[in-house]
Amino acid sequence: MTATSAPFLTLLLPPLVAALLALVLPPRRLLSGAVHAALALLSLGAALGLVHLVLDGGTPTWGPTDLFRVDALSALLAVCVAFVTTLSALLGPGPGREQHYTPAQIRRFRVFASLFAFTMLVAVTANNVGVMWIAIEATTIVSAVIVPLTVSKASVEASWKYILIGSVGIALAFVGTVLGYFDFVTLVGQRESALNWTVLLANARVLHPPVIELAFVFILIGYGTKAGLAPMHTWLPDAHSEAPSALSAMMSGVLLAVALYAIIRWKAVVASVVGPVFPNRLLVGLGLLSLAIAALSLVIQRQYKRLLAYSSIEHTGLMCMGLALGPLGVFASMLHLVNHTVAKSMMFFLSGRILDRYGTPEIGSVCGLLRVMPWTGGLFAAGMLALLGLPPFGMFLSEFTLLRAGFADGQGGLMAVVLVFLAVAFVSLLGHLNRMLYGAAPAEVRLGEGSRWAVLPLAGCAAALVVLGVAVPAPMTALLHRIVEIAGR
Amino acid sequence: MSPEIVSQLSVGGSTLVLLGGLMMLWRRGVAAHIGAFTFQSVALAATMAMVGWFAGDWQLWAVAVLLLLVKGIGIPLLLKRMGRRFGSERELEPYVNTATSLLIGGLLVLLAYIVTAPLVSVSRLPTRTGMPLAIGLVFVSLFIIISRKKALTQVLGFLMLENGIALLAVLGTHGIPIIVEIGVFLDVALGFIVMQVFVYQIHETFESIDVEQLNRLRE
Repeated sequence: MTATSAPFLTLLLPPLVAALLALVLPPRRLLSGAVHAALALLSLGAALGLVHLVLDGGTPTWGPTDLFRVDALSALLAVCVAFVTTLSALLGPGPGREQHYTPAQIRRFRVFASLFAFTMLVAVTANNVGVMWIAIEATTIVSAVIVPLTVSKASVEASWKYILIGSVGIALAFVGTVLGYFDFVTLVGQRESALNWTVLLANARVLHPPVIELAFVFILIGYGTKAGLAPMHTWLPDAHSEAPSALSAMMSGVLLAVALYAIIRWKAVVASVVGPVFPNRLLVGLGLLSLAIAALSLVIQRQYKRLLAYSSIEHTGLMCMGLALGPLGVFASMLHLVNHTVAKSMMFFLSGRILDRYGTPEIGSVCGLLRVMPWTGGLFAAGMLALLGLPPFGMFLSEFTLLRAGFADGQGGLMAVVLVFLAVAFVSLLGHLNRMLYGAAPAEVRLGEGSRWAVLPLAGCAAALVVLGVAVPAPMTALLHRIVEIAGR
Repeated sequence: MSPEIVSQLSVGGSTLVLLGGLMMLWRRGVAAHIGAFTFQSVALAATMAMVGWFAGDWQLWAVAVLLLLVKGIGIPLLLKRMGRRFGSERELEPYVNTATSLLIGGLLVLLAYIVTAPLVSVSRLPTRTGMPLAIGLVFVSLFIIISRKKALTQVLGFLMLENGIALLAVLGTHGIPIIVEIGVFLDVALGFIVMQVFVYQIHETFESIDVEQLNRLRE
């Protein structure tokens, strides 16, 4: 018991401690920021430790009735969450940044961003679908609090839409969860562990297909709302564009992935009850719709943070479709998830820097970015090219693999449609990027990079994207293969 | 209690809970809406206690008491405080008028019976007869949320949605595991508090809690 509790505690406790410390430590002191970042780093270390354990063939469990359990899928998501949390601790509101937040705002951000990280980590390590649901519902509550960190009409509106649509969506996922539990109880009887994945999967054969199908519809709509799948995506562009950039990075980079994680878990159960055809058809439908709506919306965007938000919908749609394209598709989808986490969080941090300097969210008012902030501009361009799926960045590889999986799965027509939408997204993003990078800088904007050290971690992200595009590291490939065994039935 | 009586009582209790939701559709005014929610929560707690008695499960009793305290007394008190603050605001015509609303509400309950047919057919619990009404309340609450213009009414719709799910869980499974139940309770309470803060914030920034004002974020 004690041997296995250590990795869980080092993963989950640091964000809680960080939230408590942020309450008492003076927010403007450099030391407070350093402690905050160190705790996030500790959690990231624990997540990497869990990956190591999983690659050694273990599936650590912890708590009464195995409340927590980490397999390859959980470990991957835990690393993603802890990674973006670390970035946000380093680059989020704090002293020495260009953005001017009051001490109270910095404190509020640190407390709730840490709680946000905690709830996401619980969601991906919980073995119990009920606990996972509680954690995902809590992500909405704690993150909505800091969307209007700076109160304005737009941010209040965005946070209201977010908490209302998010809570309602997640409530529907609970209807699905209850229906799944209902079927289990009807057949097997009441048991405390009945909501565990492992138990649900083991008993999948005896569950009733019509009940589980109904449950999956509710679950897909519910968690799909959080994942930003169309047509339930309407809250996403508002929340992601109005939130402070460090929060946008966490929401876009990992919250969507955590919601998708819940869908993957349930899909495995549903596929072993009713076969893969039913869930796959729904996943492809929602994925394609998201891709289509996002690609077409990209064309008419006028603000760069909204642009990035719609691009998140596009990529979540792709991942969702990949899940339905056989083992290779699942592999591609998970690789895409990692790429998207790195690329999108980097892009939101960069757009935060741009917003601080230019003081406007409009694409039309940002020009000469390469001259004003050469590093930020260069990385922004690199990140955008990565999001477009160009080599040498990782998304080229994952999108290419995904398309190949589709063709191999005999879905040639579908892949052709996907390609069309990808082309639409490509052209419009490239056009917007051009407008921002070149031209004369507005006279009132100060030239020069400013807080240069902050560029370093972001440049690291860009480098990671290149590594992922040139050759996926062997441990990651091994991890992804294990995930395919879990999710690719 | 014989199973037949339990089955009758389940339908009766669920009908009262659903009625609380339908009251939102034909009554106007914040006070009436809060009354409908309080009525619904009390009916839900009573139904839960009845099932707990039948199933001989003390955990369900505990949950029923908790529900009565939080949703039957605590949240209504907070809601009334908000009502005093915003109750004087001019009542707006909802997007859908009363007659049409009730018609749609009826159709949604009918739809719930169709959707839940497979559930009722697989279960052997006597309480299963109320399940369609619980799903009906889920649908009606969704309709309340999308068709009303006041932020406060939307919060009430959300709380009723949660009540519908709690009813579904207790009728279909005689209670989900206690740890999940408590977590869900915490989430609902926290979510309500944050929503309440936001309603005040909307009122301060927009000088109204009419969500039609929330239309700045458009492409």
